[in-house]
Amino acid sequence: MKPSITRIATASAALLAALLVAGCGGGATADTTPQLAINSVKVFGDSIQDSGTFGYKFTVQSSDNLIYAERIAANYGQTLCNFFVFTGTTFAANTAKTGCTNYAIGGGRITYTGAGGAANPLNIGTQMATYAATGSYGNSDLVIIDGGGNDAADLVGAYLNAPKDSAQAYAALLGTLLTPAQIGAALQGGATTTGAIGATYMTALADKFAAAIKASVLDKGATHVVVMNMPDVSYTPRFQMVLDGIAAAYGGGSAGAAARAQSQALFQGWMTAFNTQLAAKFAGNDAVIVIDFYKAFQDQVATPAQFGLSNVSTPACPIKGVGSDGLPTYDFPTCTPSTAAAGWQSYAFSDSFHPTPYGHQLTQQLIAKSLATKGWL
Amino acid sequence: MKTKFFPAALAALSATLAAGGACAQSAGSIVVYGGAVQINPRVDSGDLTAPSLASTKVDVKKASQVAGGITYYWTDNISIDLPLALPFKHDVVGAGAIEGVGKLGSVKSLPITLLAQYRFGDAGSTFRPFVGAGLTYGHFFKPRATATLSGITGGTPANPTTLSMKSRLGGTLELGGAVNLTRDWSASLSVTKTFIKTTGSLSTGQTIETTLDPVSIKFGIGYRF
Repeated sequence: MKPSITRIATASAALLAALLVAGCGGGATADTTPQLAINSVKVFGDSIQDSGTFGYKFTVQSSDNLIYAERIAANYGQTLCNFFVFTGTTFAANTAKTGCTNYAIGGGRITYTGAGGAANPLNIGTQMATYAATGSYGNSDLVIIDGGGNDAADLVGAYLNAPKDSAQAYAALLGTLLTPAQIGAALQGGATTTGAIGATYMTALADKFAAAIKASVLDKGATHVVVMNMPDVSYTPRFQMVLDGIAAAYGGGSAGAAARAQSQALFQGWMTAFNTQLAAKFAGNDAVIVIDFYKAFQDQVATPAQFGLSNVSTPACPIKGVGSDGLPTYDFPTCTPSTAAAGWQSYAFSDSFHPTPYGHQLTQQLIAKSLATKGWL
Repeated sequence: MKTKFFPAALAALSATLAAGGACAQSAGSIVVYGGAVQINPRVDSGDLTAPSLASTKVDVKKASQVAGGITYYWTDNISIDLPLALPFKHDVVGAGAIEGVGKLGSVKSLPITLLAQYRFGDAGSTFRPFVGAGLTYGHFFKPRATATLSGITGGTPANPTTLSMKSRLGGTLELGGAVNLTRDWSASLSVTKTFIKTTGSLSTGQTIETTLDPVSIKFGIGYRF
């Protein structure tokens, strides 16, 4: 048996020193380099992705109100600005700021039927064609596309108005994508077929959208494309008020509730028809991620606390008036942190149809999850 | 496992034996050993607190490192072991609702363990199985988050989300065997299980309770001074 204490000290001194050195320090750091280098983010769509075509964003006008497309761009160290500006009558290229790559315009539709026709960049397909006419895509381009929400709202409005205008507007809208024979048979077939033709229209709408994305984006070399499916807008305050109106029209009570539920199910069926077809069109396409905005939005409304949302039913912006449809109107330019409802930071909705900046953040997180899973972030 | 090992550990602590001969594993010997160890966390993750996708979990991947330690033979059968290792680097990856997003970050760990061991057989035996029990202080440091973590938690490169893991104390049980190669040289292989929980925190203020309970496999060649 050898003497111990001195040998313990001798034998362990070096090892202990190594341990102490290694054990020091430990500040939290972050490696902010994404797995994929993205140098440019191109955006096409409607109000939810509009960076300021009209001089404001379709959310609360706070200093920190990045919309989700801008937040995704920020994940790659990029910023966005609106390619188009509204002149008061039409849309022109943004000359105040050049090099902008966000082509989305509030009110954008897959099928825009108003003034200017197909050439109007309110057609999302026209937005995509506008860029495609000037350039192509490379591996360092990320494309974010949404659309269909306004088309669905148009269809719902025309459908609900059918008893008043003998379904003229409904038939006209259906006629943009379906044949007169299809429409005639459906409208004459009764309530069930009149509702069901809406799903046929929405499927055709998804076909049109997918074809435009293929022709102007994928066929132009894009390899990183994010396509948002249609969120379940039946849970927006605006739609909820419409559904409440339907319940009231049926005298409220259980009859009203049944009519309300039936209408919501019909409209959800239309949106699902669109989303199912959109997913099918891009299934197996390695260049495209279809984001399930529909389900994510339902989850947020169903379990708001899980998502840090304090209010998923009331718009944060103040009501400005009443529209011709009898629903409240809002004004984004004057919806600021000082005019918005207290605690607006955790509200889901800014007006009755658009998310708050926090709602945008949740959508950005949703997209980021898919990007990371795909190895793009 | 706990119930199997504790009686042996208690037996080790209560045993009182006289010092034996001058063998590699006899009372008073100091064995310094070097080798390698692999730590394989057996993670049972809680859910990340709101705001998050329901059932957002994490997994902590295994890590290997050059390791060593010092064993002091208090008696022929009872030894005190102080394993030492360079810091381990573990990847933290998404699981549950965020399964598939990949690496969220990495964190270094330095487990500081002190074990009391009971060695079967006598000092001169060629092969001596042993059991041990002790305490481990899991020191976690230098956490480094990825762009993925920022992305899925609403951060940006300008304001990235960072993570940290709280250092904690846990119990450790050991099962192993040592072979006396020569009078002074020996080789040993052991498996340890540490019961340790930690709390992961994000700079967003969210937290996640995670049971790590790592199983470590350690191999070493020792020399008696």
